[in-house]
Amino acid sequence: MEYDLAILGAGPAGMSAALEAAGLGLSVLVLDEQPAPGGQIFRGVERAAADPALAGEYAAAGAELARRFRAMPGIDYRPETQVWHIDAEAGLLSLRGPEGAPRGGGTARAARILLATGAQERPVPIPGWTLPGVMSAGAAQILLKQAGAVPKGRLVLAGQGPLLWLLAAQLARAGKAPALLLETTPRGALRHALRQGGLWQGRAMLAKGAALVWEARRAGMKIVSGVRGLRAEGEGSLRRVAWEGGGTECDTLLLHEGVIPATHISRALGLAHEWDAAQRCWRPVLDAWGASSAPRIAIAGDGAGIGGWQAAAEAGSLAALDAAHRAGKLDAAARDRRAAPHRAAMAEALALRPFLDALYAPAPEVLAPRDDATTVCRCEEITAGQVRQAARLGATGPNQVKAYLRAGMGPCQGRMCGTTVAALIAETRGASMEETGVLRPRAPYKPITVGELADLPEEELA
Amino acid sequence: MNSENHDALVVGGGLVGAAIAYGLQRQGLRTLLLDEGDVAFRASRGNFGLVWVQSKGLGAPHYQRWTRGSAEEWPSLAAELQERTGIGTGLHQPGGVHICLSGEEFEKRGDYMARLQREAGNLGMEYRMIPGAEARDMLPGLGPKVAGVSWTPYDGHASPLYLLRALHTAFTGLGGRYQPNARVERSTAAPQDFSVEAGGIRHRAPRVVLAAGLGNADLAPRFGLSAPVRPERGQILVTERARQVLPMPTTTIRQTEEGSLMLGDSKEDAGFDLGQNPEIMRQIARRAVLSFPWIAELNLVRAWSALRVMAPDGLPIYDQSERFPGAFTANCHSGVTLAGTHANRLAPMIAAGALEPEMAPFTARRFDVRHAA
Repeated sequence: MEYDLAILGAGPAGMSAALEAAGLGLSVLVLDEQPAPGGQIFRGVERAAADPALAGEYAAAGAELARRFRAMPGIDYRPETQVWHIDAEAGLLSLRGPEGAPRGGGTARAARILLATGAQERPVPIPGWTLPGVMSAGAAQILLKQAGAVPKGRLVLAGQGPLLWLLAAQLARAGKAPALLLETTPRGALRHALRQGGLWQGRAMLAKGAALVWEARRAGMKIVSGVRGLRAEGEGSLRRVAWEGGGTECDTLLLHEGVIPATHISRALGLAHEWDAAQRCWRPVLDAWGASSAPRIAIAGDGAGIGGWQAAAEAGSLAALDAAHRAGKLDAAARDRRAAPHRAAMAEALALRPFLDALYAPAPEVLAPRDDATTVCRCEEITAGQVRQAARLGATGPNQVKAYLRAGMGPCQGRMCGTTVAALIAETRGASMEETGVLRPRAPYKPITVGELADLPEEELA
Repeated sequence: MNSENHDALVVGGGLVGAAIAYGLQRQGLRTLLLDEGDVAFRASRGNFGLVWVQSKGLGAPHYQRWTRGSAEEWPSLAAELQERTGIGTGLHQPGGVHICLSGEEFEKRGDYMARLQREAGNLGMEYRMIPGAEARDMLPGLGPKVAGVSWTPYDGHASPLYLLRALHTAFTGLGGRYQPNARVERSTAAPQDFSVEAGGIRHRAPRVVLAAGLGNADLAPRFGLSAPVRPERGQILVTERARQVLPMPTTTIRQTEEGSLMLGDSKEDAGFDLGQNPEIMRQIARRAVLSFPWIAELNLVRAWSALRVMAPDGLPIYDQSERFPGAFTANCHSGVTLAGTHANRLAPMIAAGALEPEMAPFTARRFDVRHAA
C-alpha cells in the first residue's frame, strides 16, 4: 500500500504531524530509530516521566504528547526502524527494522514524506575533546533519561546554551550537582542579545530560563563566566580542564555549544540548503508549510532550523495540514483556517529565538579550532592542521577535503566533522561558508549489513 | 582581465588531468592545472581503485598494450610519488581474479581470456582458468557457488583518493599551479596558441590538454577536437573494516589497506543523474555474498554512485588537434589503471608535441563515419 504521509522521527514535530494528519483521515506511517516515542527532547518519556530529576515540561508536556500519539488510530508506528535510503521521486523508503532489514523487501511507499529528524549537538572540538571522560552534555542527558545514570567523579560543565543550564539543574536534582560550570558566553553578549527584541512575547520562556540558572546557582554550583581557550588535558584519559587564566582537576567534562539541525538526510536528498548566519549552521530552504525544493518532501521541527520543541510541534501540524491539502482532504481555505492558531503559537514559541541566537552564538574557535593539533574528524583522526593544509593544497570545500584526507568517511559519515571542516577551509581560504559549501552525504544514511541488503534466500547460498 | 602565460594548460584536475599535469611539470613545462570546485561530477572521487589488466581491450590490442604498459609503469610512479610527497598510494599488484558464479560464466570467461591472449600477440599474456576447488584454496572464504576464476599476474589495486592527493601534492611541489574553482568560460584556439578564461583570469599557452572528463564533450570542439563521451553510472558499496583476508583483488571486490571491503561494479545508463538505486545496490550485494558468504555479516557504512566517462566503444580517446596543433584530449574511464602511462608515457609525448604512432588507433576520428568507411 502507499501511505498518504510517511514521517521520519517520533519527536515533537513527528508526533504532532502524525496526530494532525491521522485526525484528518490520512494514512500515516511513522518511522523512528528509538524504541519509544519522544525524540531527543522527550526521549524515553513514558518510562522516565516519574523521575523527579526530570520533572517539568519534559515529564508533563512530553508524556501527554506521547500518550495521545499512542492512542491515535490510523498511525502505523514503527519504532527501532532506520531509513537507509529515500527515493524522493518515487516516494520509496528503504527500511531496516529491529531484526535487521525484513526479508523480501523492507520498503515502504508514501505520497508525501516528512523529515522530522530534529537536531544534533554542535560538535565542540577543543584540544583533548576525544579523551575518555569528555562527553557532550546531550550524551549525559541521554544517560539520565534512559538509565537514570549520572557521570562519575568530579564533574565540570563547559559551554553555553539553554540545554546546559537545564542539564545542570537536572543533575543537581539527581544529587550530582556539577562542581563547576564554565560559561563560554562572552561578556557583552547579553547587551547585544537584549537588542534583538522578542523579550515580552517570550517572557514565559525567559522566566523558565532564569529559573534554571537560579536553580543551578542555588544548588551550590560555582560558575565562571566569559571562559575562553578551553582545553581538556590528561594522558590516556581526562584529568584536568584548563582555560585562559584558570584550570581545575576533573573526572568528567561535559561540553555543549548548542544544537544544529540534523540535515544529513535532507542534504543526501540534494535539497536546497542555506547558511543561517544567526544560528551558524546549514538549514533546508522551505516554504511556510515546510515544503522543500523536492516535490514530495517536507521538513518540520529542529531539522528545519533550531526553534525548540514547541515550535517544532506547531511546524509538524502545519506540515500535516499541507499534506492533507495535497492529498485532497482539505481545500486551501480550510487548510489556512486550521493553520492560523498553529502559526500564532509558533510565532510565540519563536519570539525569544533571536535573543537566544545572539546570546549563545558560538565563538569562532568553536567552529574552527585555533590549535592545529586539535582533532576535528574523530572517526578518521584528522586534525585541524591537516584540514588547513588540504585547503592550502587547493581543496575549496568539505567534499574535496573528504577525498584528500578521508575526513567524513567514518561511521558518523561527517555528521560530527562536516561543519568544522568547512569552517576551517573557509578560514584558510578567506571564503564564506556559503562559498565553501557543505558535505554531500550518500545512502546508506544508517549502516545496513551486506547480507540484509542482498536479501538472498538460504537455498541460493548453498 | 589579468593575463598569464604558461607552457601548458591542463583542463581538469581529476586523476587523468593531474597525472598528465604532473608528467608535464616534471618535464620542465610550467603547467597550470585548472579544476572545478568542491562539487562537480568528478569520476575520480568515485573510482573503484583497480589497477586492472584482465577484461580490458578485447578486440582492441592497442588498448590491451596501453593498459599493460600502465600496470608496468605504476610501481615506479608510486615510488616516485611516495618519495616526493610522503603519500603512499596503497599500490599492491599481487595479481587478480575474475570470479565466475556458474559453469556457463566460467566457460565464457575461458573463451574470453583465450581470445585476449591471442590478440596480445608478441606481448604475450599469462593467465590461468582456475576451477572452484583450487580457487577456494587460493582465496579464503570463497563461496560454494563459485564455479571458478580467471587469474592474471598483472592485476592490482591502489587508493584512488591517495593517488589524487599525491599527484596534486607532487605537481604543486614541482612548482606546478593548481587552480580550483576555475571552470573554463571563454577560450580561443590557434595553432600552438591557446587562451582560456577561467576564474577571472585569461591564461595563454602553446599547449592545452583537455582532461575534463564528461566536460570534454563540450570543450573539445572549441579546440578542433572531438570527444563524444557520455556518462555511464556505476555504484559502489563499502563495508566496515575487517581483518585483512583477501590476498588479491577481484573484478568486483577488493579489500583496501584500511581493511574495508569495496564492492562494485554496476553499469547503468542514467544520464547525468548521480542518484543511488537500491535495486542495483542489492545486485552488487548479492554478487558479493555469493562470491564470499562471510561478507554478508559486515555492515555497509558507505556507498556512492559516480559517472564513468565512456566513449561509444568504451575505449579511451587520445588525440591531437589537426586544425590547432598543440591541443590534445585525454578521455578514459580508468583514471587509476592508466595513471602510470598518463604520467610516464603520454605526458612526455605531449611535451614533445606529437603523439607516438602507437596512439593512432585511439583517435576520435574512429567514430567518423566517412573515415571508418
